[in-house]
Amino acid sequence: MSARVYSRPMLSRTLPIARNAFLEAVRDRVLYNLVIFALLLIAGALFLGELSAGQEAKIIVDLGLSAILLFGVFIAIFSGVGLVYKEIERRTLYAILSKPVGRGEFLLGKYLGLCLTLFVNVLIMGVGLSLALIFVHRGFDPLVARIWPAILLIYIELMILTAVALLFSSFSSPALSALLTFFVFTIGHFSADLKALAQSMTSAPARWLFAGLYYLFPNLAGYNIITPSAHGVLPDARPVILAIVYGLIYIAVLLAATTLIFRRRNLK
Amino acid sequence: MKKDYLLVLIIVVGLSAAALVTRWSDVQPRNTAAQFAEEPLYLNGPAMKRLTLAFNGVAADWYWIRSLQYVGRKIVSFEDSHDGRFNLNDLSGLDLRALPSLLRMSTTLDPQFMEPYYYGAVILPDINPAEAISLLHQGIAANPNQWHLYQHLGYIYWQRRDYEKASEVYAAGARLPGAPLWMTAISARMKAEGGSRGAAREMYRHLGEASNDEAVKDMVAKQIMRLDSLDERDLISKALREYAAANGRCAASWREVASTLHARGLRSDSTGAPLDPLGTPYRLTKNGCEVDLAENSAVPKR
Repeated sequence: MSARVYSRPMLSRTLPIARNAFLEAVRDRVLYNLVIFALLLIAGALFLGELSAGQEAKIIVDLGLSAILLFGVFIAIFSGVGLVYKEIERRTLYAILSKPVGRGEFLLGKYLGLCLTLFVNVLIMGVGLSLALIFVHRGFDPLVARIWPAILLIYIELMILTAVALLFSSFSSPALSALLTFFVFTIGHFSADLKALAQSMTSAPARWLFAGLYYLFPNLAGYNIITPSAHGVLPDARPVILAIVYGLIYIAVLLAATTLIFRRRNLK
Repeated sequence: MKKDYLLVLIIVVGLSAAALVTRWSDVQPRNTAAQFAEEPLYLNGPAMKRLTLAFNGVAADWYWIRSLQYVGRKIVSFEDSHDGRFNLNDLSGLDLRALPSLLRMSTTLDPQFMEPYYYGAVILPDINPAEAISLLHQGIAANPNQWHLYQHLGYIYWQRRDYEKASEVYAAGARLPGAPLWMTAISARMKAEGGSRGAAREMYRHLGEASNDEAVKDMVAKQIMRLDSLDERDLISKALREYAAANGRCAASWREVASTLHARGLRSDSTGAPLDPLGTPYRLTKNGCEVDLAENSAVPKR
């Protein structure tokens, strides 16, 4: 029986876990942040005209995209660090792992579930932002089409951050994992400075250390095209594709490392 | 149930008391807001750009709105204390010392954000011309294809009577793709007759046409009015000199030169006094030998 189940494609075992993780996030009222986002945009659309001297469209894009990133980071960190921990606390993990599901598959399922939650969240916020722009412009605004590459890159950044949170939660407490993930998010946006620091070092070991850190931490600065998007500038396809490829590779590495640690973890 | 009532009572009474304390605190005389408004920014632009991570766009917007509110608050305070309306053509009365750093912060956080450059080009020359020029040079370095920045920079040099430099800047802007043809023409005019009224009129007209800001358009309209008034005063002065030469004395009243002024196309009121562009009669000065704007005229003096 068990051999037959294992012989089924991996996705048939991970997708139910992913679906369950998504439904759990919905039950946990994670999507309530959409209400705050909607209120933020409505307030922005109504009041920014008077405050910004005709710059409301730019400011709404800045505000909206930044809010998508900020809410996404909170969800990725605070839901991501609890993905494994909650299952261990509630002892539901043992029931899952007693079935023909590998630890790696369990992690992948949980990860995909949270990515789906983030996807729905980001998509709804993106649509909300587009509607706010249409409202401010009193009709179709070319910016509506130009914000979506930025939203795509924000989503990839959130996927990376979720994988980072999952990695830390596989071996430490939720509070520490949240803190470490936030540090990675911060350092990830300082990657250009890390590189510059490495190049400015005179001592070779220090240069290697900072160069190593530069390549070790995710380079998240490349995912930030919020400011050009607010000016209606479309990014070149090449850096966007490179950022997506880099993100997918980095996520694969993080998930592999998480699985490696989690497989060795004593759950008794 | 009784306990619930007690809790609701505590909430209602507590909130009311908090509101009362806030109101009482608001009416206490203090000037902390004004004191902090003039404080220099603790962080420089590049440091702030690093600290804002991916949120530099929102931070730039925040500093932009803060700049507008800073100037707005100063104008309100000026009008309150000077019993009259503020004139955009004369910013010397406002103490806007924090404005350059606020605009600089906004443009460092988002170098493609054009509005702070344009705003700085109009407001800063009266306060800190060097900072205005530096801000526009920063804008040109970050946006080398924006001819509007060259137009504003040329305008600042022209205001400083540096016509050679203004001409160079206009010529550089004229070479950019999309730059209007008049940029080349005005560059040549700056070189040939930078200080003339005609050049000034042309400068203001293009500045007004290129701006979407109502305050700038209003300032331009008033400056063009001032130039019209200067032209009118030249005509009136000439008529007064001719009258004095013919009669051996200056005019005792406007009625004595009314027909001459009328013949030269000037509008006048029932007493024969010529009217400025806003309809206020000019006044005779120096015993009828000279003309000037009336004290209550809304036409800018400078």
